[in-house]
Amino acid sequence: MDSDQPAGEVPYGTLDLMVLKTLQVMGALHGYAIARRIEQVARGSLALNQGTIYPALLRLEQKGWIASKWGVSETKRRVRFFTITRAGLRQLAAEQRAWARTVATLNRLLEES
Amino acid sequence: MTVLRVLLARLRGLVSRGRADAALDDDIQVHLELLTRDYIHRGLSSRDAQAAARRAFGGVDQVKEAYRDQRSLPAIETFLQDLRYAARMLRRDPAFATVAIISLATGIGASTAAFSVFNAVMLRPLPITDPDRLVLLQPQRRGEEFILVNPIYEELRGRQTTLSGMFAANDTPYLKITFEDEPAPAYVHASLVSGSYFAVLDLTPHMGRLLTEQDDQLPATASDDRCAAVISYRLWVRRFGQDRAAIGRTLRVGDSRCAIVGIGPATFESHQTGFTPDVWLPLRPLTDRKLLASRGMAFFSGVMGRLAPGVEIAQAEEELTTLYQQAQAAQPQPPAAARQPQTTPADFTIRLASGAQGFDKIRRPFSTPLVMILAVVGVVLLVASVNVANLLLARGAARLPELATRAALGAGRWRLVRQLATEGLMLAALGGLLGVGLAWMTIPVLTSQISLGYVTLTDARPDARVLGLALALTVTAAVVAGVLPALRLSRTTLQSGLASGSRTTIASGHRLQRLLVTAQLAMSLLLVSAAGLLLRTIVHLAGVDPGFTPAHVVMLNVRDEAPQPSFGDVDDAIRKARRAERYRVLDERLNSVPGVQAASVSWLGLFSMQDLWLPLIDPDRADDRPNARVDYVSARYFETMGMQILRGRGFRDTDREGMPRVAVINQTLARVRFGAGDPLGRRVALDYRGEQQRPFTIVGVVRDSKYNDVRDSRPNPMMWMPIAQAPFPISSISLRTLPGAEASVARRAEEVLRATDPDIMVRSTTTLSAQIAGKTSRERLLLGLSSGFAALAILLAAVGLYGTLAYMVNRRTREIGVRLAFGARGDTILRMVVGDALRLAAVALVVGVPLSLAVGYSLRAFLFGVTPTDPVAMAGACLVLTIATLLAAYLPARRAAAVDPIVALRYE
Repeated sequence: MDSDQPAGEVPYGTLDLMVLKTLQVMGALHGYAIARRIEQVARGSLALNQGTIYPALLRLEQKGWIASKWGVSETKRRVRFFTITRAGLRQLAAEQRAWARTVATLNRLLEES
Repeated sequence: MTVLRVLLARLRGLVSRGRADAALDDDIQVHLELLTRDYIHRGLSSRDAQAAARRAFGGVDQVKEAYRDQRSLPAIETFLQDLRYAARMLRRDPAFATVAIISLATGIGASTAAFSVFNAVMLRPLPITDPDRLVLLQPQRRGEEFILVNPIYEELRGRQTTLSGMFAANDTPYLKITFEDEPAPAYVHASLVSGSYFAVLDLTPHMGRLLTEQDDQLPATASDDRCAAVISYRLWVRRFGQDRAAIGRTLRVGDSRCAIVGIGPATFESHQTGFTPDVWLPLRPLTDRKLLASRGMAFFSGVMGRLAPGVEIAQAEEELTTLYQQAQAAQPQPPAAARQPQTTPADFTIRLASGAQGFDKIRRPFSTPLVMILAVVGVVLLVASVNVANLLLARGAARLPELATRAALGAGRWRLVRQLATEGLMLAALGGLLGVGLAWMTIPVLTSQISLGYVTLTDARPDARVLGLALALTVTAAVVAGVLPALRLSRTTLQSGLASGSRTTIASGHRLQRLLVTAQLAMSLLLVSAAGLLLRTIVHLAGVDPGFTPAHVVMLNVRDEAPQPSFGDVDDAIRKARRAERYRVLDERLNSVPGVQAASVSWLGLFSMQDLWLPLIDPDRADDRPNARVDYVSARYFETMGMQILRGRGFRDTDREGMPRVAVINQTLARVRFGAGDPLGRRVALDYRGEQQRPFTIVGVVRDSKYNDVRDSRPNPMMWMPIAQAPFPISSISLRTLPGAEASVARRAEEVLRATDPDIMVRSTTTLSAQIAGKTSRERLLLGLSSGFAALAILLAAVGLYGTLAYMVNRRTREIGVRLAFGARGDTILRMVVGDALRLAAVALVVGVPLSLAVGYSLRAFLFGVTPTDPVAMAGACLVLTIATLLAAYLPARRAAAVDPIVALRYE
């Protein structure tokens, strides 16, 4: 563990944002790679049940923000690779702005008191 | 947009279930492999690595579950699961499913068909803008329907301010018109309407223009024979093949030549349901001037207006009544008849009824029968739904162990209710579908029964309202049949758990079932007793002695198209002589048609639906002018009708113009006029222009007979004169035939007419019996429907009873076994079961008999010769119910009696 803090739960609704950001930065990835990447970036500050990524991926695909196609894994198995779509990029930008605003507001609030 | 996309994606997910699951399996497989590989790299053993991978991934099943919920619509998925399960359950018990579905289909089908006709007659508004603002003018005298004559109509129309417009219409089912360039005349349905007709209805032409006030002016000179006509869209299609050149063509109507100025709108058929005019003509130019001016003779089929903006119906009613009373005050009142008090203007009122559905020619006479039919089919539907509920209950009870097991395995109560309700819903949906199909087939049959005079309902196609009702009925049936038993069963299930033999729960389900069966029996009793009353009515009507012999008489309703005297006038001698000669020739030829025993022509004839009274003048008592029904007939009339001559003689061929004028009267007229004195040789004249001074000498008295309705309780005073001595235009030809020769005689008679006198047009051919039966068509319609539905209801109730008893015997096998083991005999058991059924029937009778009496009272207007409390009909209904009960109880009772005690005791 790289942090002294205990690993926290994934805040509700942020998993989608993390997946989108990961796909924007990394391009096409399969589910395992996405989960790994998020864990690496979090450096142990998140306790992610990796399986929960799949309902999230389905949710994003239904919304049209990501797309999937079949590919082959490092173990030579058939697996789905996900990429972010145009609509996904727009959504990511919007959510990033919203997130920044929320964080800024919270920070100001916490500093003042 | 995103929401929609997600919904679509989920719906796709519903369909592509298998494929998506496989993809997820692949993904998870790869994910776990890669995780395991990582852990091995970190130095874990292969087995530890696999375990660690699973931990890091989280529960595979939970992920799959969450994924599945996300993928499609879980509620629908459960529903589909329930549906598949329900379908499986129904397939497993096809007899049950068939009975249930047919029950519901009959109930829903009958209700839909009946409502469809009700809708077409009573509810469907005219397809025009703001039909709700239309009002029907109903003139009344002392609260009873009265006539509206043209001069008063014109006065109302000119003075009123509360209507934005009003019109009168005279519907003519057979108008003879001749199209330009066509040699033969055609008979069409025509409406003679005021110039304001199309403006009040707010219609726009399909092409050309519609009639206006200018078209409805009397021509300035008598020689001006021009007029305008609007033909219907249908006629335009049928006769002109949608040729635009139809406009501008002329058609001859009587002495007038009308130019077609426009084609009516395609969407609007008529102001009267069941009567579709082919042509609209202006009323005034085409109506006899004397008739227009008459203050005693009305000829309108109806008068309608449109309320002016902001005017309430009561306001218009008040104004029109005031104007109507003023008009009546200005008009000379006819001398009062002997027994009636003098009327005053205050006796006259105008009632306004809603005109949204147009004229009420069939709406009024059929509203009560239609409401009754609706009530009948409603009861049938109720019985059917209760039946299905009952069957589901009985079957559900048999499934208690299965339900209990599922409850024990964790199925929630709500899940079980939903499961059982889905079965009910599925049955109802299938029943509803089949029912709408049945309705589709029944509607035309029912439609043709709604007929009176020239108005016959032709179109009762179900519209959105009808289909909405069918759907609502289906849902209601589903609730009654599915949800109620489901709630009931699920409660008992959860209470009893796996203890399938628990006596208390069985008993409580059983009580509900018995209650339902009793209700079914009671409702069936209502229908059976109503059918009994109507059957007795029809039997009584058939048994009435009409005073003539209706069997084997062919009737031709005809119209003499040769020139006629105009209204209120009499013919000159030459015309009279010519007509008398035509009729003599015709009469002679008709009497020589093979198969004819006697034939005659007459001015009105019997049961012609004409209701004509004329005042008579007795030269000895000139001040008193009694009314009598009169007719002009040819020589063999009494023989043709089978009327019995009691005194004197009938007519002879020698009773001709130039010979002494003679008349035959009936018993009632003889009694009323001449009391105990001898009527033969007395003289009577008609109070009619040109007739007052030419009395007829009475030469015969015939037995009293019915005139227009076999229900007439008091015989009417009647008088007949030879048509040879008073040649009025004939409208009826009767031929008494040898038995079985009716059809051939009818055919031959029409041929004779065509060959002898082409001016005589046959409007319809029928038999005297059919014409009499036509007078009781509503009673027959009600009888047919109520007996059919009563049979159905009692069949359903019997099935329900059978099911309940069979189930009960099944549950009590052990008890029966014990009884038998202790020495009870088979027939004791048989009596026990049958007695049980009879107790249910007895309760049903106690409840049903008072209700049936109430139903009888509501049928009162249709009854003849029976009282609503008729003991024969009631006893008969009770007997039918008891017999049905015994039949339904017999099989289960036999099975109970045949129980083998050894087997039964080993049973649990």
